[in-house]
Amino acid sequence: MREVISWVAILAGGLIVTIKLSAFTTLFTIAFSSLLSLCAISPWRPLRFLAVLYNDLMRSIPLLALLIFFYYGLGRLTAPLGISAFWLAVAALVLNESAYLAEVYRGTLLSVPATQWEAAASLGLGWASTVRLVILPQVFVAGVPSTLNNTIGIIKNSSLASLVAVNEVTLTATILVSETFQPMQVYLVLAVLYLALIVPIGLVSRRLERLLGAGIGIGDLHEPAEPRLAALPEA
Amino acid sequence: MSSQTLVDLLRGGVVTLKIACGAWVVSAVLGLALAVLQDLGIAPVRAVQSSLVIGLRSVPQLVLLYLLYFGLGAVGIQVNSILAAILALGIADAAFSAEYYRAGFMTVPRTQREAGFSLGLSPVGVMMRVVVPQTIPFVVPPLLNSFVGLLKTATLAAAVGAPEILYRGQNAMSRTGQLVLVMTVIIVLYVAATMPLTRAVAVLERRVRSHAHG
Repeated sequence: MREVISWVAILAGGLIVTIKLSAFTTLFTIAFSSLLSLCAISPWRPLRFLAVLYNDLMRSIPLLALLIFFYYGLGRLTAPLGISAFWLAVAALVLNESAYLAEVYRGTLLSVPATQWEAAASLGLGWASTVRLVILPQVFVAGVPSTLNNTIGIIKNSSLASLVAVNEVTLTATILVSETFQPMQVYLVLAVLYLALIVPIGLVSRRLERLLGAGIGIGDLHEPAEPRLAALPEA
Repeated sequence: MSSQTLVDLLRGGVVTLKIACGAWVVSAVLGLALAVLQDLGIAPVRAVQSSLVIGLRSVPQLVLLYLLYFGLGAVGIQVNSILAAILALGIADAAFSAEYYRAGFMTVPRTQREAGFSLGLSPVGVMMRVVVPQTIPFVVPPLLNSFVGLLKTATLAAAVGAPEILYRGQNAMSRTGQLVLVMTVIIVLYVAATMPLTRAVAVLERRVRSHAHG
């Protein structure tokens, strides 16, 4: 037992890096995927095309491939600039995760009835003002559960950063294993740490989903509850 | 790029495909078992089932893979890297497949079950002969989507030294130094493999849905 406590103390340092990595990634992913989803529904065709192309392309590339490419490829160029492996991992994660979240946001934006757009147009609002004043306020709350689910995916996927020299919790555990030769026990403790991080977020997200589904906010504007066909982002 | 390197990458692609297919079968079968168990609604089974699903959804696939490969190895059960990847990715994905089945079960009207019971079928018989066959059209599109996902997550097997595409790619990069070229080939192969599949699934999904509503 004392052994486990000392492991947790060591892993805590890595856990903080995991949390930082996930937090930065989540923030930038929300910003970038909002932009992407707005581009995907913009009235300007080339922009729409580019956004859809980006989403399709990014979603067909394995995250690990992107991380490795950034680390070994861009790393050589960015190292002299003082950009660490941590920020390279954030960049790769953001570029990849945004494609998934943007698709979800796009669906949410499209769930606003066309009559809302028509009403805004009849009031003389342009596209940008319609989005800002009419559409976004309606989807803001509805987007929260899917954003939380995406954050869960980001935390899980941040473990891949251990393979490109980011000293987050999985890498810390792997180093610990090389010292203790007890992979089963150490990795089980690691799994418990991930559970402790993720399960609360999952509970909040499910709670919110249910609240919104019950017609609080604009839950009733959405399609009737259907099997969640859009899988959570895979690694 | 030499043709040797290209052949090597393609061989890696075959291994990746093998891992994804294996994991997909594990996920589809285990997911069905989990969903049926939950549906049968025996309280203790249900509690175990739901905590298992939560656990599998919350632990990164990489950690599961390490547990199966290094963890089991240390307690004397040697699993080769490809099999470990198939099991780890399949088991992790089963938690999601179970949800697809469960959602599919909800599309079957209660009267179908009642009719099954009135014919003298057992609860398991009703599930396997009445409910599950009717759910198949609804679960095929999401399961195909998860196959596309598995094709991508199969690259994690590189972390335990399975000779899949990314692992061979990394070796080729350090051997030839042609980083951008190797990476471009990998990305092109991935786009060629997954994009048509994703599109096909989207079409299928739309058809299933319009068929169900019509």
